[in-house]
Amino acid sequence: MIRSLKGLSLLEFKNVSMGYNKGHDVLKDVSFKLEPGSMHFLTGPSGAGKTSLLKLLYLAHRPGRGEIIMFGRDVAKSPREELPKLRRRIGVVFQDFRLLDHMSAVENVALPLRIAGGSGAQINEHVEELLSWVGLKQRMQAFPSELSGGEKQRVAIARAVIRRPDILLADEPTGNVDPEMAERLMYLFVELNKLGTTIVIATHDNGLVSKIGAPRLHLESGKLLYLEGTRPPSEFLNQDGEFKI
Amino acid sequence: MSPSFDFLPSVKNREATKLLPWAMAIMVYLSALFAAGSLLLHSGFDEWASSLQGRVTVQITGEEKSAIMSEALEIQDELRGTPGIKSVRILSDEEISALLEPWLGSGNITDDLPVPVMIDLETSDDAYVNLDALESQVRQYSENVYLDDHARWLSHFYNLANTIEYTAFSILIMILAASICIVIFGTKSSMAEHKKTIEIMHLMGAQDHMIAKAYQNRFMIYGIKGGLGGLVLTLLTIYILFILIQNISEGLVEIPSFPFLTLSSLLLFPFFFAFLTMLTARVTVLRELGRMV
Repeated sequence: MIRSLKGLSLLEFKNVSMGYNKGHDVLKDVSFKLEPGSMHFLTGPSGAGKTSLLKLLYLAHRPGRGEIIMFGRDVAKSPREELPKLRRRIGVVFQDFRLLDHMSAVENVALPLRIAGGSGAQINEHVEELLSWVGLKQRMQAFPSELSGGEKQRVAIARAVIRRPDILLADEPTGNVDPEMAERLMYLFVELNKLGTTIVIATHDNGLVSKIGAPRLHLESGKLLYLEGTRPPSEFLNQDGEFKI
Repeated sequence: MSPSFDFLPSVKNREATKLLPWAMAIMVYLSALFAAGSLLLHSGFDEWASSLQGRVTVQITGEEKSAIMSEALEIQDELRGTPGIKSVRILSDEEISALLEPWLGSGNITDDLPVPVMIDLETSDDAYVNLDALESQVRQYSENVYLDDHARWLSHFYNLANTIEYTAFSILIMILAASICIVIFGTKSSMAEHKKTIEIMHLMGAQDHMIAKAYQNRFMIYGIKGGLGGLVLTLLTIYILFILIQNISEGLVEIPSFPFLTLSSLLLFPFFFAFLTMLTARVTVLRELGRMV
């Protein structure tokens, strides 16, 4: 298991550049390394390349140049047929949720398990448990059109984590919810991270970044500035030095 | 093998492919109709041609009925003694009138009409009859004797039947090509309509074969639904046409009974079209997905 490989990188970008339709590069010579079980924020102004970097991370795009070593493979050069299995190890929370409108909350969350070929009873049990955990026990059969922004966000998060991914990517996960919900969602991410999931959260919310205090991957005009994390303010930590959110 | 489940929206939301079963029904209807026409023509012609095989008609003309009848009797005797000839029979006046009736009308064949005397000859199955030699042989009894083994006329008819069959086959191929185009168009439209769903499935690790399977299963059902509808319409049309032809041709040509056995091959059409639809949808989806990362 990757999670037990302490000290080894789960993901490494080596001089990665990327552009769209042979246009100019939106990511320039980006290099960084993520350790298993780490948590990072991805920050930067609009147009800095955060979404493009996330696309490379969730294997929706290939880089123009450079290497992306993920789970021990150079995914930039891996054949197409290998990518679905790798994608199943990555959970993604999209900014616009990307829930399937014709499926209920429970069906949406069950989707990754069904794609992986899980059996019906096992899926239902697991999904219901997780939806209860994110506070949606009473809304399981609701369709996305019947859910509020916060509820959709929680369904999207539940769908992203249902298979215990090795990497969880979240694009502005608190952008559509009120501060109280944002805090609850962040608590969820911190808990998942404690369980060993590597997490990358793209956000504009500097307050959130300083509150959690995780390291930042900061992008400016397609260039990455890797900023080491600062310890969060003491009021967010308990006596054991853990987050008390 | 990749797991399969139907992740596509339900019937009500399938705008792009709602009309596909209708299109398939029309395609199956047209192709089955052409195939049925071709099959019926083929089997009917074969049956009719084989009934003429080994038969020669001897025709004796003349002004005087009694004179040509006595010539006919002499020719009959001559032919009966010829090796390779199985049977010889002079057609009765009633039989000749019955042959002419559809063309001249009932009761219009009067005694003063110069109707020829006809002899029906049946040759042995394994015998080769030299028509020219036979004609010289019988010409000693009458100058106005003509032999016809229907070969020339049959060869024209064979050519016509072949041309019709090839044309029907070409039309069938064109219908199949059009059906494939319709399915490709329908599949692409459906994929464009459900682009978001496919992208999400793709990003969550669904393999191309899983997505293709959902499409191929759905399109196969469209094919079967449309195909069965088209087949029912085809059989109904053939039956109505058969009844109409039977009524019109009464007395002119002998129409065989409804060819259930020949047409039973049409039952395969809906399944063939369903398979074609399924295969086309699968290939189209896989090709489209192949363009994604």
